[in-house]
Amino acid sequence: MHKRKSIMLLSVIMTIALAGCSGGNNSAKSPATASPGTETAEALADGKIVSSPLTLTYFVEMSGSPAPGVKSLNDMAAYQETEKKTGIHIDFKHPAGGQEKNQFNLLMSSGDYPDVIQWGWNDYPGGGVGAMNNGVIIPLNDYIDKFAPNLSKLLADNPAIKKEISTDDGRIFAFPFLRSDPYLRTYFGLGVRQDWLDKLNLQMPTTIDEWHNVLTAFKEGDPNGNGKADEIPLLIRKDTMLNFSNVFLNAWGTSGRFNLKDGKVLYGPVQPEYKQFLQTMRTWYVEGLIDRDYAGTDDKQKDAKWTGELLGSSEMAVGGGIGKYTNAMKAKNPDFNLVGAPYPTLVKGDKPVLGQLEPIFNSVGAAITKNNKHVEETVKWLDYKYGEEGSMLFNFGIEGKSYEMKDGFPTYTDEIMKNPDGLSFATALGRYAVPFGGPLVQDKRYQEQNASLPQQKDALNTWMNVENSNWLPPLSFTNDESARLAAIMTDITTFRDEMFDKFVMGAEPIDNFDSFVKTIEGMGLQEALEIQQAAYERYLKR
Amino acid sequence: MKLLREWSRNKYIYLMLLPVVIYYVVFLYFPMYGLQIAFKNFSPAIGIWGSEWVGFKHFVSFYESYYFWRLIRNTVMISLYELVFGFPAPIILALLLNEIRKRVFKNIVQSITYLPHFISIVVVAGMMVDFLSGDGLINQLTSLFGIPSVSFLIAPEWFRTIYVSSGIWQGIGWGSIIYLAAIAGIDPSLYEAAKTDGAGRFKQILHITVPGIMPTIIIMLILRFGTLMAGGSLEKILLLYNSTTYETADVISTFVYRRGLLQMDYGFSAAIGLFNNIMNFILLVSANTISRKINNTSLW
Repeated sequence: MHKRKSIMLLSVIMTIALAGCSGGNNSAKSPATASPGTETAEALADGKIVSSPLTLTYFVEMSGSPAPGVKSLNDMAAYQETEKKTGIHIDFKHPAGGQEKNQFNLLMSSGDYPDVIQWGWNDYPGGGVGAMNNGVIIPLNDYIDKFAPNLSKLLADNPAIKKEISTDDGRIFAFPFLRSDPYLRTYFGLGVRQDWLDKLNLQMPTTIDEWHNVLTAFKEGDPNGNGKADEIPLLIRKDTMLNFSNVFLNAWGTSGRFNLKDGKVLYGPVQPEYKQFLQTMRTWYVEGLIDRDYAGTDDKQKDAKWTGELLGSSEMAVGGGIGKYTNAMKAKNPDFNLVGAPYPTLVKGDKPVLGQLEPIFNSVGAAITKNNKHVEETVKWLDYKYGEEGSMLFNFGIEGKSYEMKDGFPTYTDEIMKNPDGLSFATALGRYAVPFGGPLVQDKRYQEQNASLPQQKDALNTWMNVENSNWLPPLSFTNDESARLAAIMTDITTFRDEMFDKFVMGAEPIDNFDSFVKTIEGMGLQEALEIQQAAYERYLKR
Repeated sequence: MKLLREWSRNKYIYLMLLPVVIYYVVFLYFPMYGLQIAFKNFSPAIGIWGSEWVGFKHFVSFYESYYFWRLIRNTVMISLYELVFGFPAPIILALLLNEIRKRVFKNIVQSITYLPHFISIVVVAGMMVDFLSGDGLINQLTSLFGIPSVSFLIAPEWFRTIYVSSGIWQGIGWGSIIYLAAIAGIDPSLYEAAKTDGAGRFKQILHITVPGIMPTIIIMLILRFGTLMAGGSLEKILLLYNSTTYETADVISTFVYRRGLLQMDYGFSAAIGLFNNIMNFILLVSANTISRKINNTSLW
């Protein structure tokens, strides 16, 4: 009898345990947004989407530097205005800063999805296609045709954009962040101290040889004038250089990742040109032209080196580099003049081939999850941002407050451009609108005012002057392909990064380049190339 | 009947045990259900049950991975360094503390050596990054003697030394507590007897204190063997390593973190984690068995 008692006790424990676990699931499955009676609302006269209040949940990362007082995107004027217009309230779920990717991954594995997820879908295994195939998010084609007149019109008028945002089988998985103007897609390159060049009577370098001369002169000529040879002529950063900006690499017509040559997909680091690139970096490192600590220099230290007048050149962004350092140094050293340098080539006068260029659609967009019970309303709400009114709202904010129309040109007010509290352009604008990284079409007129310094404008034009026809467009892969690709490329990329440091710092002689190539091939490069090639051919047939 | 008597006599003790049992069932046994994803092509959207079985695919692909042997080597080497240098340190400290006769001084030393244990590992790592950088405190000190500066945290050959020595600094005081307690349990009459026989301080340590705490040392050592394949603390390595030092710093747990949590390859990660734990289990059992055979001290 008492044996039974202890068994009962055990079963009580088990029940509590099970209840504890399944209880969470049950509550998760019940829709977080219970709001009945949202009938088709096309007939609503006041432009509202819904007749009774509706709340949608929305997962999105907060942009890098939120303005003081902006705790959630509901504190941003553009979203407040949208809520007034549409009658839909958004319950934003923001991941903690610095934890975004982990929290996105946890969200994905929890199965408890909000109504909308705005994210760079390339981070999901298999990309947006993978997320659709796994049933996390739903294909939007039919909904866009029926309920999204603004986006539909945009796609009908621009078949090129439609091709970019569709998968191989023609599905659309997100309301995309679009940058169609080339002016918006390049914002990164080499920056160099023009005042140092002037002081040493040097021309702006355009070839690798000229760069060598300039860097040597920076090292020996004491351009910062403190009597010490403490100048660091060049700071490089391998992850941006190999994965993103491609500075210097482009001189040899190669890259640190996959690119095209005569319609064939190649992997840059196994080409003979990559060896020459490494050889040059090695020589520069030995001669002390490259920062000895480049591998361990983080953003904070980079800032300190720039504002400490130690650096002569490095890669940088137009806003977070040229803009940031120029403003920081304005008071300290009025001569400080940081400008964009052209992508170097081997032969003088050649046009650079592979520079930094973001695709029109870089997989950032707002997708609707399978848990969404109000797809129609959500689609209408998202489509608002692609219309005339919504587009102005999310690019420029509120007329009369954050911008004014001057001769038909939306000009940001002084509150944004010369903020009385000393806030930067991006932070001040953040109270009204965040014209990047969300479901909207970025306006060229935003970037023209964002890069407002003459140095920034010139840098953009300089960095844009690149052929850029041999980059791969964003491809879509099947689940199996992307799993294989991820497994192979994890090893290869780690190896490429480690060996870059070893070659440059001299731990591995450049003569061993052949065995470096062999190792990469042994990791399954051929298979990865075939997957990329097949996906590229499917892309061409879209 | 026996069970009934046992229950009525000790029911409150069993009730007190209950929370711990629940804890183990809910947080340690129940999640084992999820271990099956090590043998599946797991996709969170489909769920654990729905994902297809792939057998030992993940284990094979880990074994065939280019980095397999390096991960094993780094994992074992970090643990071995910790074992060789880190394990004896608190024992030595405890023996030294035991010999101090001035109470005040002893208490001060003890408190100071405990303190680092209470600093969060994130803070410790942050301090280390600042101290060890190319122009950090350590390099500024060594440059006074004309030693060229070294960027310690991007030099693979320094990683293990940095990891283990900072670990000793942080854990030595806390780790010595258990040995001090064991020393306190030694019968004082033994020391009296040794003194009468003319044994000096050093002989007393060697022939009374050390044998007196030997069972504790052995138990601690066996437990250590159970973590040999853990390769140090995941958090600390994550905070201190970077791709330049993967050569010596990348261990199984950090690899699992990158593949599993950052790339959402959960099945693969679960497989490596399982492999790792089985290795730890084997090591623990063998260490225990050997110890039982040789000197009759063992966990069970």
